[in-house]
This record gives sequence, structure tokens and C-alpha cells, in this order.
Amino acid sequence: MGDNPSERPGLERAPTGVPGLDTILAGGLLRGGIFIVQGSPGAGKTILGNQICFRHVANGGRALYVTLLAENHARMLLHIGQLGFFEETVIPDRLYYISAFRVLEEEGLAGVMNLLRREVQAHDVGILVLDGLSAIEDTAASTRELKKFIHQLQAQAAMANCTMLLLTGAKPVSAEHTLVDGVIELQTTLYGRRAERSLQVHKLRGSGYMRGEHSFRITGDGIIAYPSTEAWLSKPSIADRPTGPPVPTGLVQLDRITGGGFPPQSTALLVGPPGIGKTTLGLHFLSECDAKNRGLLFGFYETPAAIADKARTLGLPLERLIAQGHVEINWQPTTQGLLDAVCHQLIEAVRRRGIRRLFIDGLQGFQKLATDRERLGHIFAAFNNEFRGRGVNTLYTSEADLIGPVPGLPLSGLSLQGVSCIAEIILVTRYVELRSELHRMISVLKVRDAEINSAMHKFTITNRGMVIEPDSTGAETILAQAARHGGDPVLATALGAGRSGEG
Amino acid sequence: MALILVIDDEYSIAEVLEAALVDAGHQVVTAINGGQGLERLRERQPDLVLLDFMMPIMDGPAVLRAMKQDLQLRGIPAVVMSSLPESVVAEAAKGAYAAFLRKPFKLAAAVELITAVLNGHG
Repeated sequence: MGDNPSERPGLERAPTGVPGLDTILAGGLLRGGIFIVQGSPGAGKTILGNQICFRHVANGGRALYVTLLAENHARMLLHIGQLGFFEETVIPDRLYYISAFRVLEEEGLAGVMNLLRREVQAHDVGILVLDGLSAIEDTAASTRELKKFIHQLQAQAAMANCTMLLLTGAKPVSAEHTLVDGVIELQTTLYGRRAERSLQVHKLRGSGYMRGEHSFRITGDGIIAYPSTEAWLSKPSIADRPTGPPVPTGLVQLDRITGGGFPPQSTALLVGPPGIGKTTLGLHFLSECDAKNRGLLFGFYETPAAIADKARTLGLPLERLIAQGHVEINWQPTTQGLLDAVCHQLIEAVRRRGIRRLFIDGLQGFQKLATDRERLGHIFAAFNNEFRGRGVNTLYTSEADLIGPVPGLPLSGLSLQGVSCIAEIILVTRYVELRSELHRMISVLKVRDAEINSAMHKFTITNRGMVIEPDSTGAETILAQAARHGGDPVLATALGAGRSGEG
Repeated sequence: MALILVIDDEYSIAEVLEAALVDAGHQVVTAINGGQGLERLRERQPDLVLLDFMMPIMDGPAVLRAMKQDLQLRGIPAVVMSSLPESVVAEAAKGAYAAFLRKPFKLAAAVELITAVLNGHG
């Protein structure tokens, strides 16, 4: 948030009605204020201007859209007409479109100023959009003349209690920047072949706002803005609550080795190579859901149908729990997603459904969507605070190298994902190669405030799901044999290093 | 050859129409809003007026009402242009126009319609 996030009394707001934008603007624009919306061609200025007008009209207001050197009205309405917010019946009675360019050509800035004054009054509008401010800048003979124009417009806006948006392709010069009540910049940035839209509020007079870049999308319903997750969740929506007894993991043996289950409202991280059974363990975790403990599987790779097939094969009751409304699957393909859109979807689903068990399958999904991976640590920390306040137990999975980390060796890449530092529980799974067979092992590296059994346990995936051996005898036998046969390069290296140290 | 008055606040529309109508052999006068348009109507008494619907100062329906009340202007055929459907225009203009052009239109179709109206077939 900005310096002063709370709305000051006496400053009436004009909500934009654009999803997400009013959150960024801490409630909306200032009524009777004047704002610059800047962005290169195609950035979404015209859509934003129209969307704000239509939303204002939908709420009972009147609006005026004035173009200068911009797309002609017929083509603009043809394009805007494809979007969900468009409602033709409100034109011309509640939303009026005029062009001021010929007046600008014939009568200059004074002519445009008179025209705006008369039209705002005649149509009794609460929102005015002036599309094409750059034509005014080009016409102004000097910076002083431009300043005078903006200053007069500001006086008109205040006296008519009309909020004015000035759309421009040019970066605002300091004169305009100083005089207006706010500046919103829309931009498109290329990341490799992927283009991402974002907006930034550079100034909002008399109010706090969310600083920094915020992603937005142009959808069939118009613009949807996604306040940056870490700013949006900078304070949890619900305060931390007192803790209770450990939460069953869904696997009795895992409960034993974790000291009774997962600590309540905790975050667990399950690391392991592909195909070892991370999703299976997550499905066991969700099998404990009921009407009072609703669950959510938030995944990036396996489709809901594939997950249902897997649960059926493993004999786990996922389909029944989904049918009963106790569990929901939310699948987010990583092909064209926006990190913040996905984060918002996750948080909304947790809030809407009152989720208590959250299984996030595939941390790498967030990494693939992130254009700035430095953000992930902050986002996961914000998730952690929000989920803890809501009494959610979260289980993340994270893919590791095929041979996987072993005790005594660094958890390669783990800290970069930003979850290891906030995870109260870390579970590590790995394959151990012995002769022609791969054996699965699980160990507990860490559980907050609990006495754990850190020994490796062998496990298998059966038609009854994951079966963890009750003690570490099987694991010890395989590991000892593997070391003797030199079948596990990582372990062999580790043991070799140990032996040379001893020698 | 006819004298045609184009009343439209949009720069691109008025200028392109003017050029096409001049090419078609007509004389064209333009006005940038309804108020100025009414002045030009009284000054020039054109053979036809091409009238935009939404304009500052005075909109299309207001111009049509003023024309109806003026004996000298009453007989001048008006072609109303709008990006809104004709039903909206018809309600506001109370049928006091000869023809309707939905924007965006093809220039050839506009010239054809104007010719038809000038020939009394609008």
C-alpha cells in the first residue's frame, strides 16, 4: 500500500467498477478529480475509459466520452460492442459520444474547454473521458498554455463534481503530472515470446494506493486487474487463531513419523522426483476431508479427469468427496496464465469454499508463470499468513531431481522456491536404485514443535494407495545393499566422502 | 450537381464524405456540430443534409426539430448517420428524415443512397 492507505474523510470516491482496479486505488478515483491514463497504442486505454463509463452508467450515472484524434466512434463502438460490459441501450441517453477534434482545429484549446464545459452541463455527467490528450499537447503553444488548460479543466471537474479521465499515448510531462490528481500507466512487457499487461499508479492525490506493478487482462468482459498478490495480502484478512491438536495426514504411518500428524494451520512441503507418489500422498491428505473440513486440490499439470482416474486406481474416495461437495479440484494450465491471476483464483477459492485442507500440486507451476521469481518468496509468505489465519493446512509438492536429495546433502534449489523457509514440515521422497529395481523412500526433515522420526521409510504405491512401512528396517536393508553394490551414485558419493574424511 | 451539407463532429467522417461527394460531382459544405449546421442550412439552403446523430452543442434530432419548424428548411431531405441502430434514431427523430446510414458504412453505399434520395427515391 501507499503511504496512507486509509481513505481520508471528505474525499468522496468514484469507483471505476473495473474488477481489481478499485482495490489498487483503495476505493476508486476521487470524485471531481482529473486523472491521466497513459499507455502505448493497444495498451487498453480506450477499453478502460469505456468500461469505466459503462459501469458508471450501470450504477445510475451519466457519462460523456469525448474523442480527439482517436478511433472514430463507429469503429470504437464496433470493437467495444464485443465486450461484456457494453450495453447499447444506454447510448445516447445516459452515455454520449462526441468528437472535439474539429473544434480543436477551428477554435483551439479555448474552444475545446468551452465545449467540455457546455457538454458536461448539458448531459449532467459524473464521468468524462477525453480520449487523445496528445492532440491537446500538440496544439498548446507552450507548456504554460497546456498548464492553463489542465488547470481550467481541473476547476471544471471540481465544480461539476465530474471525474475526468484524460487518455494519452504520450508519457505525461511534468506539468501535467504535477497538476492532475492521479496518473495510471498501462503497459505491455514482453517476456521471451510472452506478452504481459500491467498497470501502475504513479500518483493518487489525497489517498493511499497499492504501489508497484499490477497485472491486468483484457477479457471478453473487459479489463480485469489483479493487485500484486504480495501487496494485496500484505496483511492477512483474518488474524492468526489459536492452534489445536495435530491434523491427520491421511496416512497412519506418516502420522506416526511426523509426531502425530501435521501441526494445525501449518504449511508442509513434499519434495520428490517425478512419478514417486507426491500427488498420491496429496490425495491421501484430501481423503480426510468432510463437510467441516473442505479441501481444494490446486494443480497445474494433471487435469481433473486424470486426477479422478488416479484416485480411482488407488482406491481413494476423491470422486465421492467431490460429489459430496467436500473437495474441489482447480486446474490451472501454465501455458498462458498470469501469476497474480492464478494467485487470486487460489485465494478466492480458499475464501469462498472455507477450505481447511489445501493441496497445491506443483510449486513449479508458480515458477513457470512468474516473470520475476524474486517475488515468489514474498507471495508464499503472504499465502502462509493468509492460510494460517483461515485455519488452513497446506501441502505443497515440489519436483526434485530424479535421484533426489539425501540427508547430509544440500536441498538443491529448495530455498529458491521460497517455501522451504516458511514450511513447518518438510518431507523428502527419493528413489533408491538396487540392481534393476527402484525403491521409494520417504523421510521427515522437519516438523515444527514435534518430535519426529527422521529415519527413512520404504513405501510402495498399491491399489490401496500409498503404503508406508511401519519401521525403517526395509529402507536400511535396501540402502545398505545399494551402498555395497554402488547402485546409488549420490549415496555412494556421500558415503565415499564420509569414508575419505574418516580415513 | 447538388449542394450537400455534411454536419458531423467527427473529423475523419466529414472529410472523407466531402471528398467522395465532390468526386461524385456535388458541391459540399461542412459543419462541425448541430448549431453550426443550422446556421449553414439557413445560409445555404442545400439540396440535402447529411446529419450525424450524436454531436456537441446541438444533436441530430434537435437539428431535425429546428428544420421542421422552419418553412424554408422543412423540405430539405435529411440523411441521418449513426453508429446506433435505426430504431434509436427513429424514436428520437420521430421519423423526420429521408434515409438512415448506419456507421461504419461503405463509401460507395453512402454515395448511392445520397444519389437515390436526391433523385426522390430515398
